Amino acid sequence: MLIHRRKVLIGGASTFVAPCFAIAQSDSRPSITIAVQKVATSNTLEPLREVSNVGQRTFSLFLESLLDLDWIGTMGMKPMLAQSVRRIDFKTLELKLRDNVRMHNGDVMSVEDVAFSFGKERMWSGAPLAPGAYVNNNSGLATKTPPMEVPQIAQSSFPGFEKIEIIDRNTIRFVNKVPDLALEGRLTRFTGAIVSQRAFNDSPNWMDWARRTIGTGPYRIADYKPDNMLLLEAHDDYWGGRPPIKQIRLVETPEISTRVNGLLSGDFDFACDLPPDQIPTVEKSTKYHVVGGKITNIRMISFDKTHSVLQDPRVRQAMTWSVDRQGIVDALWAGRTSVPRGMQLEFFGDMYLSDWQSTGYDLAKAKALLKEAGYKGDPISYQLLNNYYTAQVPTAQILVEGWKEIGLNVEIEMKENWSQVLEPTPRRGLCDGSVSAWFPDPSASSAAFAPGAQNWMTKQWQNDDGAAAVLALQTGTDLAQRRAAFRRTLEIVEIQDPGYIVLHQNGTFTGTRKDFKWKPAGSFVMDMRSYNWA
Amino acid sequence: MIRFIVSRLARAVMTIFLVMTFSFIVLRLSGDPALIIMSPDAPPEAIAAFRKSWGLDDPIWLQYFHYFAAVLEGEMGRSMRDGRPALQIVGERIPTTLLLTLPALLLKVSIGIPSGVYAALHRNSRIDRLVMSFAVFGFTVPSFVLALVLVLVFSVWLGWLPTSGADSWRHAILPVVTLGLGGAAVLARFTRSAMLEILGQPYIRTASAKGLAWSAVVRAHALPNAAIPTITVLGFMVGSLLAGAVVVESVFAWPGVGRLLVVAVSNRDLAVVQVILLLVALTMVAANFMVDLAYGIFDPRIKQAAPGGAK
Repeated sequence: MLIHRRKVLIGGASTFVAPCFAIAQSDSRPSITIAVQKVATSNTLEPLREVSNVGQRTFSLFLESLLDLDWIGTMGMKPMLAQSVRRIDFKTLELKLRDNVRMHNGDVMSVEDVAFSFGKERMWSGAPLAPGAYVNNNSGLATKTPPMEVPQIAQSSFPGFEKIEIIDRNTIRFVNKVPDLALEGRLTRFTGAIVSQRAFNDSPNWMDWARRTIGTGPYRIADYKPDNMLLLEAHDDYWGGRPPIKQIRLVETPEISTRVNGLLSGDFDFACDLPPDQIPTVEKSTKYHVVGGKITNIRMISFDKTHSVLQDPRVRQAMTWSVDRQGIVDALWAGRTSVPRGMQLEFFGDMYLSDWQSTGYDLAKAKALLKEAGYKGDPISYQLLNNYYTAQVPTAQILVEGWKEIGLNVEIEMKENWSQVLEPTPRRGLCDGSVSAWFPDPSASSAAFAPGAQNWMTKQWQNDDGAAAVLALQTGTDLAQRRAAFRRTLEIVEIQDPGYIVLHQNGTFTGTRKDFKWKPAGSFVMDMRSYNWA
Repeated sequence: MIRFIVSRLARAVMTIFLVMTFSFIVLRLSGDPALIIMSPDAPPEAIAAFRKSWGLDDPIWLQYFHYFAAVLEGEMGRSMRDGRPALQIVGERIPTTLLLTLPALLLKVSIGIPSGVYAALHRNSRIDRLVMSFAVFGFTVPSFVLALVLVLVFSVWLGWLPTSGADSWRHAILPVVTLGLGGAAVLARFTRSAMLEILGQPYIRTASAKGLAWSAVVRAHALPNAAIPTITVLGFMVGSLLAGAVVVESVFAWPGVGRLLVVAVSNRDLAVVQVILLLVALTMVAANFMVDLAYGIFDPRIKQAAPGGAK
C-alpha cells in the first residue's frame, strides 16, 4: 500500500487546523462516562501486551502512532505524529515528525522518543520469569524488562523490522529487512504508538509503566483501576487542539442489560458493545439512539482439516455452499452489516478484488459435492463458545440447520474457553473465529492463514501452496503481482482447500445520546477529538 | 474444649488443603490461561512465550509442587494478568464487598428473624400468609431477576438511584436490597418453622400452664430453643460474606471479590482464585466454629455432649 505525500499533507492540514482555535475557551467542557464490557483483557494499557479489540478502543483515546487511518471518514491513511511520509525504497520509509508535539508528561516528542518506541528496551526484549512464577514474588516482574510475549507481539506487528535511523531532529527512517509495501499500514497500528522514553525510564518497573503509559493522545491516564474503570483527563497541550471533553470515564460493565439500563437512566453517556437485539430497546427512547455498524473484522468458521470427515475438501466445500449468510445478517444483525466478497474489505483500496467470486448459498451444489465425497453421515463436532462473538450461538444454530438440510450431521459441543475449543482432539472439527484487518492491506488479514498463525500452529489448516501465496503477497513489490498473489491465496483458502467459511463483516454498536454530534468509527476505535465532537 | 478446638482446626486445615488442591487441578485442566488471558487474537508465538514465562508448560505435577512449596513459605503468588500480588488484589476488593454484604446481612437479620417469629406467633393469620408469600417470593426469584426488576423500577423508570457502579452510598442501595431481601426470606422461613416446632413442645404448654406470661414464655423458652436452626443458616450467611455476592456484583458492576472471582476463574488466573477460595474457606470455617460455640450457649446440652465438654 503506497501513501502519497501530497494526500497526507492535505489530509493532515484539514483535519488538525480547526481545533487549534478552541484553546482560548473557558473550561465548560463536559465529562462523560462510557460503559464498556472490558477496558483491557490483560489489565495493562500497553499495546505491546494488550492484543484485543477492546484495547483498540481504549488506546485510541490516549495513544497515537506515526500514521493513522481516517476511521470516521474515508478509512484512508492519514498523518498523525508524522506529518509526512516518503518511500525511499521497498524497505525504507522516511517520516517527518510533527513539530511541538507535547507528551502527557509535558516533554516535547523527540526523534529519540520515536526511536525508543521501536527500540530494544521497549519492543524487542523480553525476559522469562522464574519457575512457577505465578506463585513466586521474586519472579522478575519487578524489573523494567517487558514480559516475554512483548517481542513476539512486536514481531507480528512489524515483521522484518530492522531499525529506526535518526536523520535529523525532525526526521527518522523506518528500515525493514525485507521489502514490504504495507509498512505504512503497519505504522498505523497502536503497537507502533509513540511513547515517552523519559516516562519509561522513570517507571519503577515494566508493570507500572504498562499501567501509566505516557503518549501523545488527546487524553491522558488519570487513574486506572483494573477490572473496574479507567479515568482519562483532557491533555490540554494536545498538538491537535484542546480536547472537547474534560474527563472520560470508562467503566467496566460486563452485563449487557446493565449497560443498556445505565444508558437509559442517564448514568452513562455511551454504552458500547450492544448486541443487535438491544437496538430496538434503546431506540424506543426519545433521548438515545444506537450508532455504529460494520467494522474491519470478518466473522468466520474455521475448519480443522485433520478431522476424519473434514479432511475431504469436498465436504468443506459443501459446507461453505450451504450457509445462508444474508439470512444471518438479516435475522440476527437487523441488516446492519453485510456479507463481504470473501476475506477482504473494500478499504484495501488498490488491493481489493472487486470481481472476486467467493462461495455463495447454493444447496443443490452443496448436496452434489457431498454426494461426490461419499459422505456417510459421520458426525462433525462444532466446538462453540457461549456468545464470545455477538450472536454466536444463534448463528451456530442457523448454520447447523443449513448443514442439516444437505444431510450433514453437525453436533454442537458447548465449550467454556478457547483452550477447550482448540484442544487437539480427534473430535475437533469446526470453531468460530474472526479476522481483523488492522490496516488497509490484505497482508493484514491473510496472515491469519500463513505459517505462524493460530490456525496453522494448531494444525487446523496447513497448505504449502497457500503459505507461498501469502508470502508472495507480503513481500511482493509490484501491485499486479500482489493482486495476483492475493487472488491465489483466496482461491486456495476459500475454494480449493477451504480453511474457513466467511460469514459476514462484524459490527459494533454503541448506544449514545442523540444530542451528541459524535460519529462512530469503522472499528472499535473511539475518536473523541474536537473534529468529532460538535 | 481445647480438644474440640484442635480437632476443628485440624479439620479446617484439611478442608482448605482439599479445596486448594481440587481447585488447582480443575483450573489447570480446564483451560490454558495463556490462550485465555492473551486472547486468541494474539500471535501464537506470544501465547507460547506467555506460557513459558509463567511456567505453564511445565508438567502439572511440577506446577503443583511449585505452587504448594510457595504457599507453605507464605507466598500466595501473583496474578498472571497483571503481575500484581494476588493477596493485594483480593485485599483491595474485600472492603468493597463488605460494603454490600454487611448491610445486607443486617437487613436479612432485621427483616427475616422478626417476621419469621411474628408469622409463627400468628400462625394462619393474614400476616402469616403475607410473610410466607414474601418468603416464597424471595426464596424463588433469582437474585439477578430481582436486581434487574429493581433497576428497571428505581433507576430507569423513577430515576431515583444509579444503575451500577460503586461511587457513592446511593450506588449500594439496590445491590444491598437485592441481597438483603433474598436472605431475609430464607431467614423468615427457617425462623418460622423452628418457632412453630418449639411452640408445639410440651414444655411450652407447661410453662404457660404454670401461669407465665405468654411474652415471657416466648422470650425465655421458645426463642432460645428455636434459635439453633436460625443460627445455622446465619452461619452460612456470615460465611458467605466475602464471596456470596457474585451474581449481584456482576449485575451491578460492583468491583468486589465476587466479580473478581468471576473474572479470575474465567481467565484461569490461578493465584487470585486460590487466594479468594482460601479466604472464603477460612471465613466459612470461622463462621462454622462460631456457630458451634453459639450452639453451646443457646443449648448447654450440646456443649456437654461435645468431646471435652463439661460432664
